[in-house]
Amino acid sequence: MKPGNWPIVEPHTRATFQALVEAIIPYSPTLARFGNEQTFGALEEHIDEFMILKLDKLLTSSYGYYSCRIILSRPTAFMLDAAATQLIVTGQTQDPQTFQFPYGGPFTTLSRNDRFRAIELLEKVKIDLGSLPPPYQYNAGLVKFISGALNWMTTSGYYSEWSGYGSTRLGQPDNRRVEFFPISWLQVGYPGPAYGYRDFRGFLLNPSLRGRDDHDL
Amino acid sequence: MIMTSNFDAIIVGAGGGGAVIAKELGEQGLKVLVLEAGAWYGNKKWPYPNQERGAKSSSNPDDLDVGLLKKYYTKYENDMNDVVSGKLRWGPADRRRPPWARDLPQNGFVWQASGVGGTTQHYWANSPRAYPLAIDNVWPIPYSELIPYYEKVESTLPVYFAATTSKEELYYYGASKAGWSLLDKVNITSPGYRPQPNAILPPNENLMNPAYTLEQLSNMEGCTLAGHCVNGCPHGPTVDKIAKRSTNVSYIPLAMKTGNVTIQPNAFTTRILTDTDPKEGLRAVGVEYRDTWTGETQEVRANTVVMAAGALETPRLWLNSGLPHNSWVGRGLTNHYFDAVTGIFNEKELNSILGSPGVNSFVGNTSGARFDYPGLGCMLLFGLSPGLFSTLGSLSNAGYNFLHPHPPDEPWDAYGRVVGVPLKEMMMNYRRMLSLLIITADEPLPQNRVTVRPTLVDEYGPIPIVSYTPDKEAKNKRNQLAKIAADILKNAGAKEILRTDLPPGLFLHLESTMRMGYVVDTSCEAIQVKRLFIADNCVHYNAIGGANPTLTTQALAVRTAEKLVNKYFS
Repeated sequence: MKPGNWPIVEPHTRATFQALVEAIIPYSPTLARFGNEQTFGALEEHIDEFMILKLDKLLTSSYGYYSCRIILSRPTAFMLDAAATQLIVTGQTQDPQTFQFPYGGPFTTLSRNDRFRAIELLEKVKIDLGSLPPPYQYNAGLVKFISGALNWMTTSGYYSEWSGYGSTRLGQPDNRRVEFFPISWLQVGYPGPAYGYRDFRGFLLNPSLRGRDDHDL
Repeated sequence: MIMTSNFDAIIVGAGGGGAVIAKELGEQGLKVLVLEAGAWYGNKKWPYPNQERGAKSSSNPDDLDVGLLKKYYTKYENDMNDVVSGKLRWGPADRRRPPWARDLPQNGFVWQASGVGGTTQHYWANSPRAYPLAIDNVWPIPYSELIPYYEKVESTLPVYFAATTSKEELYYYGASKAGWSLLDKVNITSPGYRPQPNAILPPNENLMNPAYTLEQLSNMEGCTLAGHCVNGCPHGPTVDKIAKRSTNVSYIPLAMKTGNVTIQPNAFTTRILTDTDPKEGLRAVGVEYRDTWTGETQEVRANTVVMAAGALETPRLWLNSGLPHNSWVGRGLTNHYFDAVTGIFNEKELNSILGSPGVNSFVGNTSGARFDYPGLGCMLLFGLSPGLFSTLGSLSNAGYNFLHPHPPDEPWDAYGRVVGVPLKEMMMNYRRMLSLLIITADEPLPQNRVTVRPTLVDEYGPIPIVSYTPDKEAKNKRNQLAKIAADILKNAGAKEILRTDLPPGLFLHLESTMRMGYVVDTSCEAIQVKRLFIADNCVHYNAIGGANPTLTTQALAVRTAEKLVNKYFS
């Protein structure tokens, strides 16, 4: 039983977001030479769940006086598949396809680099907009907005404290508790919120603004 | 006079401008109601601001509670700044609900906050004046007209030149070595570098004294250099002495102390009410608002109305109120066409310059130093918590850098979005990075705008539709600034330079959508609607040359208060 506001997510949607976040911030055994903590990536930190949560709450229906959410994760997954399909049938893939994510569609069969090529088709709207599901169909503006967001939302989630919410991460925002120090902060060396730092190195200019040039103009 | 009115003025929005004009009008003895759409953090009447509706309004400064502010301003970046459910998002107090809708048909996002204090809750508190070059013989009023109001706001907030930490020291070293001058002025007419004039209290004099713990210092007066400016500052002994001078801790407490100002959060203004007076013609007589917790709609009347809802919501409110057509309402949107340039340093270099192996840009004021270049724009030295920092890096408009090798003669080693293992490797250098945010002096173009469409609505009416594309001139200016940034970072010793190419759709400094001379007169009163004033970034004639806009909005708000009182209450 998932707590809080976790939606019902189809295995296909889940697999697609796993493939997305895993490409942006992969598990990377080659970085173990800098410490084992450097191997962890977005999949290990459940950033696929973060993306589904955020996308399903990002937009409200703008077509009536009752605000209802537009559940974007599922159509976004199918949009990524449409881009992947176009990449495949037009011969733009650079690497062989593999089956890494059970229940996943074409997007999840691409190599990491080819997944980015597929997303870039969307970002640049080099895609048959008619092949996309609503609300993306013939909506270049929304395609550009969300295909860009797939990148920055993933990194904003991974490098923030979100994974540290642990077992409460899927709850309502006010019900979450930071349970542990996020691994991403270990990776980058961020010490987390602080009361202050003793790094005062003086002033380059006297802090007062007065008596400078107010009437020199 | 409208005899049925209880209030002399209604102010729509308690952000960077609304809070200032509320205090000024309250001081003049006017009875003021401030309607704010978002939550109020740090007021006893809303002990659970995100969970419960709480009271209707507050007007007593004794209601302010620093313990509550500290409880809710957690300094965690996702908790505070997540654009979907952060406490400092553009949305209702109830975080179970989605954010309020804007239609942004391009890559990017609008980084604004609702709530008492508005976007100043997470602003970096950079408070430079406009560049005289962008005002004189351009605006309908001269720069000299603004100076006394700048001075008043600078001493009220107050504004100080920022303290130096490691990142500022490294930046000053690079900027000086690159041949730029130190500017020790507040009216800037030539290029150079300087500490940020910030609305942040100077560091506590005991900050370096180990006899005080950092936790003790965080409950005393003065900045602790904690670096959380962007995630909401909770440091200080009382609400009105918090180190970063967002308006919820500066002008709002002062407004309440006048005894004349009532502030009502959770009230989203949906309509300006007007009538036609035989002498004055069309004039504002009040507003309609909707309670964000209950959905109930109410009207409230006053002798004057001040719109201070920001550069998107103020034109939206005009358009949704059926006010007279004016082809410049919503048009001329400027956004400073941002970019970011980052240098990565090695430990040896840093040790020799700073005496420590890290820059640790997350320490100190979020932005403690700047570069000004009147005519081009400016640059801010900045350091962010890692989630926000990586967000800026991923927001590229240039696509994935591995798919687009950049020409070798450019002064950066990477251009565009870094992903995969290279992203992780880059972020491993987080403590050894120095970044500059480029702010371009873009010009208002009529096609850059906010508008509404009857079919795109939420419960408050048609939503803002935002579009912004910089012109060739803005692109050229941004390129010139990016080259200067790379040069300064290289002079500081950076071994690798990354340029992001931020998208035009990253909205941080929205301005000039209800321009002085087109929509409002030089008193910031609407030309077509009497008794309706504007006190936010909308009224700027242009993007003030690239300087951060808040101080200019606040100076104008003080001036507008004077004009309003003189015209209708003297």
